Order: sequence, then structure tokens, then C-alpha cells
Amino acid sequence: MDSFLSGLVQIFTLATLIYMFAGSIAGIIAAAIPGFTVTMAIVLTLPLTFTMEPLQGIAVMLSVYVGGYTGGLISAALLGIPGTPSSVATTFDAFPMARRGEPGRALSLGIWASFFGTVISTLVLIVAAPPLAMFAVKLGPWEYFSLIVFALTIVASLVGDSVIRGMLAGLIGLGISTVGTDPIMGRPRFDFGIEMLQAGLPFLVVLIGIFAISQLTSEVEDPKSVRSGNALVTGAIDFQTWQVMKEVLMRPVNLVRSSVVGVLIGALPGAGGSIANLVAYDQAKRNSKDPESFGKGNPDGVVASEAGNSATAGGGLIPLIGLGIPGSAVDAILMAALMVHGISVGPRLIMDHADLVYGMFIAMAVASLMMLIVSVLSMRLFLRVAEVPKWLIVPVVMVCCVVGSFALNNRVSDLYLLGFVGVAGYTLRALGYSLAPLVLGVILGPIAETNLRRALMTDADPTLFLTRPISLIFLMLAVISIAWAIRGHLKHRKPSGRSTDASAS
Amino acid sequence: MSDVGYDKQQAGEAGEIARLLSYVLILLASAGLFVSATAIPTSRFEQLGAGAFPKIVFAGIALVAVIAIVEALRKIPAGAYGRFARQTQAWAGRRYLVFVTLGALAVYLVLIPVLGFSLASFLFILGLELVLMPRRAATLLIAVIVAAVFSFGLNWLFAEVFTVFLPRGVF
Repeated sequence: MDSFLSGLVQIFTLATLIYMFAGSIAGIIAAAIPGFTVTMAIVLTLPLTFTMEPLQGIAVMLSVYVGGYTGGLISAALLGIPGTPSSVATTFDAFPMARRGEPGRALSLGIWASFFGTVISTLVLIVAAPPLAMFAVKLGPWEYFSLIVFALTIVASLVGDSVIRGMLAGLIGLGISTVGTDPIMGRPRFDFGIEMLQAGLPFLVVLIGIFAISQLTSEVEDPKSVRSGNALVTGAIDFQTWQVMKEVLMRPVNLVRSSVVGVLIGALPGAGGSIANLVAYDQAKRNSKDPESFGKGNPDGVVASEAGNSATAGGGLIPLIGLGIPGSAVDAILMAALMVHGISVGPRLIMDHADLVYGMFIAMAVASLMMLIVSVLSMRLFLRVAEVPKWLIVPVVMVCCVVGSFALNNRVSDLYLLGFVGVAGYTLRALGYSLAPLVLGVILGPIAETNLRRALMTDADPTLFLTRPISLIFLMLAVISIAWAIRGHLKHRKPSGRSTDASAS
Repeated sequence: MSDVGYDKQQAGEAGEIARLLSYVLILLASAGLFVSATAIPTSRFEQLGAGAFPKIVFAGIALVAVIAIVEALRKIPAGAYGRFARQTQAWAGRRYLVFVTLGALAVYLVLIPVLGFSLASFLFILGLELVLMPRRAATLLIAVIVAAVFSFGLNWLFAEVFTVFLPRGVF
């Protein structure tokens, strides 16, 4: 109790609260810029915290972290471009909702879902950090590989109009992930003597090119609409704060399920928000009574994605606090920040620095509240983006994409890659390929390969994937997931007869 | 989509042919990459080796591409192939701004290392705005201000606040 009070006192000082407030604003703004990730924002915050007290520094970084997960929602909803990889699924429904004339509702839904997702994950973190961390560390490569196989079956519900093209896109994503040195032995693969390809295709540049450039390009397809000075999004920019809060709370099952998915995925080292939002979205779609409306502006889709990605913030801290294993790049930076202050992170952290750990729990809760306040106060400002005409937005956001791609590695060659991937992304979009499975393939490919090979290096017997109980459970879930998806597609096909694919034109 | 003479069915058939071509391209690329994956040396320390996973993936792509080709061939009526070139030309004509935008982006990306981020971005934003904007005098002033803010201003912000230095160019 003393440690809890000590943590509480350290967080609730005026200086810490002001720093956290500034961190929330910085996180939201940073993540709203396509290509500027939460990780980059945290990295830029790290040097600023060196002169602070350890808990103060961590609290500021957690504010940036929580704010960043919400900020990705802004460009996802208003521009259809995921500001961060963790808001890919948010674009599926928030963007159509904004396009339909409800940009305020789309943003508000996402913000409330993010807030509740963070609060739920903080509660789980407090209660379940030690046991969940112990479970996560017991998973071997067999379980991880089976988990990824299960995650890949999500592709089945992200395929869009055509199952075949969705599968092709997912496989192309896996193929892209094999470019560069192999993750186990470091052998060069498919680099064709090009230096940039030796380290593999930078994931974020691929993401920005595939989603942002292709989306922006498709905005100028209709010359009449562009030249008439039409805004990207039209309609009421009413934030509907309290009404939407009630709307989110009226979906308790989806909210809690998505948050739990976020916490569990966040607790697995190597996974994180970029997967959690897609898994949570998939689960919401599968369990919905009206799965057809997903992708067309269904509020459940927005709630699932945002609650899922925000809950990974708390989930990621579970292995970090319990075992000293960072669950994501952001957690690794948080760990580095603690180490800079001479605090060793590991199983003894909770015993040696209980006040710090409790302080982190409190900081998470305070950061989510600050995010909510900053969002509610500033969203009207952000919603003005919706009123900016396309002819201004398209070139400006393209320049932001270029900056984001360059700033990752300070390489000019990444810009050429951005252009190439952008053209490829637009071509695939024009041909009716769904781009989400491709991104999922790129994210999951290296994790799948590493664990498959590691499992077989540890023991050459492939039946272990079926005889280890947790691995078997994941594989069975994968089979059920595929069967469920096939049933859904057949059901959908029957009434409409032979589906005629949308024209590429 | 409301253009005079626009035939939705014929455009749909042309779209299906374009997709068929994409499947063929994907099949050829995956077959080539599968072959090059077989050349990746295996390791004595592990059962699978660095080439195994890519081989599984590219074999999967090839298999799905073959299924897609068969399905597409069944869907496309024989007469559609003759109309493909004309339909593609019409499609490109309707979307000429897409080609202008992508072309401008390509030129911009090539010019960044030469002119520097600020100048290249200013020219790109202003140029593209002039192409896309409604032809009114009042919008020109806005276009110039926005171009200046998001080129020189953004460069200043990144250099001074984030200490990220964007390309300065050769001049």
C-alpha cells in the first residue's frame, strides 16, 4: 500500500501532469501524420526524459504511447490512411463512416473505444501481470507458429469481393516478407545485388506506399469532383461526445472481447498493436449478426479495432514488468529508459521497485484520461481536416508520406521504394485486390518463418505441432476459422448467384 | 462513371482481362522466385534452410494464381479480348489525373536528392495543386502559402524540433 501511495504521489505532481499532458498531445499529433509511428514518437521523447525522475520519464513516455495509439485513428478515419500500422483495421469502417457524412461520429467512436480499451487493459495488467507473463514465456516456437497460422486465417475475412484475390494478396505479403537476409542464419535472399533489399523491405515504407499513396491517388480518379473543390469528407462534423460514449458502452461484448484480444496479443512478445487491431476486427465481424455491413461503416468495426490496438499498450507491459521481456519495439524503448536510470528490468522489478511499477499502472490510467481530454478538446480542430478540399490534401499528405518514409532510416532509396510500392498498390487496388491481407502477410511472415524453423531446429519431429496441447488448440482454431469463413462465403454466394466481380475500372 | 458511351458490362469484361493478365504476371514471377529460392544453400545446422519458407510461399502463390487463371478464363466471353485495348484506353482517359499525379510524384522523388527537400516539395505541391485545383484566382494564394508551409516549414520543423535532417540537395 505504501508503494502504491508513493507511486500515486509521484504521478500527481503538477510538473508530471503537465509533461504527461504535453506527451499526450505530441503522441496524438505524431501518430496522425502518416508514416510517423508511435515508436518514432517515443524514440524522440526518450532523450527528453533523461533529466527527469525515472517514474516521471516513464509516465511521459506512456502518455505519448497511449496518445499515439489514438492519433493513428485520425488519418485512418478522415483520410483512409492508417497513421500507424496499429490502425489498419480502423480504416475499414471508420473511413466509410466518415465518407458517409459522419466523420465526427467515426472519430468519437474510435476515441471512446480507445479510452475504454486502455482502461480495461490497465485493469487486466494490475490483476494478471504475473500469471499472464508466466504463460506467455512458456510458449515455445511450436505454439508461436500455430498462433501465426491461426492469425493468418484472419485473411479469410479480409478478402473483400474475391477470395482468390484476397488469398493471392496475403501470399504476396508473405512473399514480400522473405526479401532480405533470412531471420535465422542471415543468408541473403532475393536482394538481386540491390543494397536496399539486403536488409529486407522496410515494412513501414511498404505500408505507407500500399495504403497511403494508393488511397491518395484514387482520390483524384474523378476530375470533375477534384476540380469542383470538393472536400475529402463531407457531412456533419458533429463530435456527439456523450451520445457516442453511450453507443460504445452499449456494445459491451465487443468492447471487452476486443480489449481482451488486445491484452493477450500485447502480452505475447513480438506481436503487438499491428496484429491486435486486425484480430479484434476479425472476431467482431465473425460474431456479428450482420457481418455484411462490416467494411461499409459499421460502428462495431471501429470499436473493435481501436479497443484492440489500445489494449495492447497495457498488454505489452505485462511481460515487461513480469519478466523484463519487451513485447514490442515501444516496450523495448520503455525498458531502455528504465535502464538509463539504473533500474534493472526483470522478475525482481516488482519486488525492488514496487512504487515504480504501481506508478506505471497509475500513469497508464492517467494517460488514457488525458488522451480522452485532449482528444475531446482538440477533435473539432482535427475535424477541420475534413473540410479541406482534395486538391490541397492530396499533394500535402503525399509530402508527409515522403517525410515519414525518409525519416525512418534517412535513406533516399526508401523514397524510390515508396514510389514503386505506391504505383503497385494503386494497380492492385484498381484491379480489385484487397490490400489488408497483403499487409497482414508482411507483418506475420517473418514471425511465422522464424518460429517454424526454430521449432524444427529444436526438434526435427514435425508432429510436435500437433502433440503439444496449446499448439494443437491454435491449429484447431485455425481449421475452425477457415471452415467458418468458407461457410460464410458460400452463404453469401447462394442468394446472389454467381458473383460478378466489380470492374477494375 | 457517368461518361457518355460508357458501357459497364464491357468495362467489367476488360477489368476481368486486366486481372487475368495480373494473375499470369504473378504466376510467372512466383515461378521465377521459386526457382531462385531453390538455389539458396541449405544449412547443416537446420532441417529447413533459408530457402524452404520462400519455396512454400511461392509455390502457394503459383497454385492460387493457376486457380485464378482458370476461373478468369471461364468468366471472360471470347469477344471481350478484341475490345480490351479500346476499353483500357478509355479507362486510362477517364483517369488521366491519376497518371498526372503518379508522374508528378515520380519526378518529385527523383528531384529530392538534387534540389533538396524544401525546393522539390514546394515545386511538387504547387505544381500538383495547380493541376488539381478549381481554376479560380483566390485559390492561387492559398496554394502558394500551403506549398511554402509544407515544404520550407516542414523542413524547418523536422530540423529544429525533431533533429531529423531531410535531404538538402546538391546546390
